[in-house]
Amino acid sequence: MTTIESTPTHSDGFDVTRIVQEDRVHGSVYTSPEIFQREMDTIFRTGWVYVAHESEVTELGDYVTRVIGKDPVVVSRGKDGEIRVLLNRCTHRANKLCNAEKGNANSYRCPYHGWTFSNDGSLTAVPMRNGYGEAFQKVKSELGLAQAPRVDSYRGFIFASLAADGVSLTEHLGRSTKAIDRLLALSPTGTIDLRANWMKHHHRANWKMVVENNVDGYHALFTHASVYDAVRPAKVSHVPSKVDVVVRDLRDGHSEIDYSAEYRKLDEEFIWYGRTKREKLPEYIEAMEAAYSEDELHDALVVGPPHTLIWPNLFLAEMNIMFVEPIAVDETIAYTTAALFPGQDRMNQKMLRRAEGAMGPAGFLIADDGEIGMRNQAGLAAEEPEWLVLARGLETDVEDGTGIVNSDKSAETPQRGFYRQWAKVVGQEN
Amino acid sequence: MTTIESPLTAGSPRNDIPKARPAPDADIIAFLNLEARLADEARYSEWEQLWDDDALYWVPMHPEDDPATSLSYIYDNRRRIKSRVAQLNTGNRHSQTPPSVMRRILGNHEVVASDSHTVTVESNFALFEYRYTQRIWAGRVVHKVRRTDHGLRLASKTVHLINAGGPVETLAFLI
Repeated sequence: MTTIESTPTHSDGFDVTRIVQEDRVHGSVYTSPEIFQREMDTIFRTGWVYVAHESEVTELGDYVTRVIGKDPVVVSRGKDGEIRVLLNRCTHRANKLCNAEKGNANSYRCPYHGWTFSNDGSLTAVPMRNGYGEAFQKVKSELGLAQAPRVDSYRGFIFASLAADGVSLTEHLGRSTKAIDRLLALSPTGTIDLRANWMKHHHRANWKMVVENNVDGYHALFTHASVYDAVRPAKVSHVPSKVDVVVRDLRDGHSEIDYSAEYRKLDEEFIWYGRTKREKLPEYIEAMEAAYSEDELHDALVVGPPHTLIWPNLFLAEMNIMFVEPIAVDETIAYTTAALFPGQDRMNQKMLRRAEGAMGPAGFLIADDGEIGMRNQAGLAAEEPEWLVLARGLETDVEDGTGIVNSDKSAETPQRGFYRQWAKVVGQEN
Repeated sequence: MTTIESPLTAGSPRNDIPKARPAPDADIIAFLNLEARLADEARYSEWEQLWDDDALYWVPMHPEDDPATSLSYIYDNRRRIKSRVAQLNTGNRHSQTPPSVMRRILGNHEVVASDSHTVTVESNFALFEYRYTQRIWAGRVVHKVRRTDHGLRLASKTVHLINAGGPVETLAFLI
């Protein structure tokens, strides 16, 4: 039995062990505005956060606007080719500088007083500069756009940290890079294209509800019963005892539902893709055969894409990519798009249609996840019981070289891993 | 007699003046009203029967999107419309259990294309949805209606939501 340590670790009396324990979390982690603010100040201000994909900023001057925690940013490929994450705020009087979702610009001009910034962030023009007198050069050199001090990427996925110091992206991603590799092993070019536009789905739930649910192997039979009853049976059974599907805490907050053992046992290609056949996708197969050995190709087509959460905000949703933006303690926007393969137009169209079927505000799956999240948030208004229990499978968790694994896919192993990281990050001394 | 050119019409010959588009025939308007009412009242199976075999039910994210390269909120062919209705009919489509209470108003009808078999009508719409709270959806809807031996059928319906750029709330009802 866990002992509750109640020594406050913070000068303000905040003690994370009072709200997150090994097998349960306190309801206030989803409802307290103070805890939400603490998350913004820790998870999103000190750690690595997914911001964009390189396919969205391929040309010099390309940009997309995003949010890290509550900070609006511009992810910009400068004229020097470097990708920067610029804080989207004029350094003069704080006007939000770039107001489009995406575009191409050599410079950003603030419409308030005409200050102009290069797409590398430097301040290039200030109208009526004489007003600053002798101090002008100092103003000009000091008032370039603020930037995320650290920007790095892994195979096209761009992450940023608003903190100057901390673990490297490699350390942060830990074992989760294997999930990105698994996705890219399905692409003939080893790359994906995320330019099909993002569905923006407004969820009336805490951001963690949205994220945790993505790696919950317990809910599908109930939340998504209507899909299996009316449309098509699940690709493999959702009854845990019938399948070799595992859940895995990859450590460092990352976690997944992994179908690969079950799929390898069945040794059938494309179970994850409507059980199609190679003959149905000739251009794709031809390109894959040119790029990979037959063994690599067969295994990639058998195991299919990952179902993996990359802490804190990125979800590799099989052939879709989702990231979340926390808006308020009970409000979240989920961004979703289809992962497309460069040059595979016919397959990509199918991918788009599959994404629309499952994902987003009208999706056969996610619309109902959104509803359940909203009802979760509504249920939390009742303050008894105080805790949400995440003990399922605690006694059957097994640690191996891949993380903490549970062979019962309904185990809450991913959620326990998520909150272990949460406690570590949110509980850190400022 | 000399015509004095008015500054208002200078450089703007009369044939440049926008022309009003024709209004749809009464039976077409009646069909659009039927479609709206069945959707509003969650009469899913009856609504499904309005569709022709080559149906397309499309809710794009941007009006100019090419569905071959862009993701839409909804891009249902006839088969997927059937699945959508079947899912709603299970009673376990949680995001529509209970169904939204809705009423929509269609207006500003304009016929934008027609031939002996089909007529394409653009309309503005305002939809009032109540489910826990009241929401308003609005936009431009394009119906392509076909005259068949069995009466009028819906060949396609495209819904351009004014807030399609998002974020959008859950859209599990028939928009």
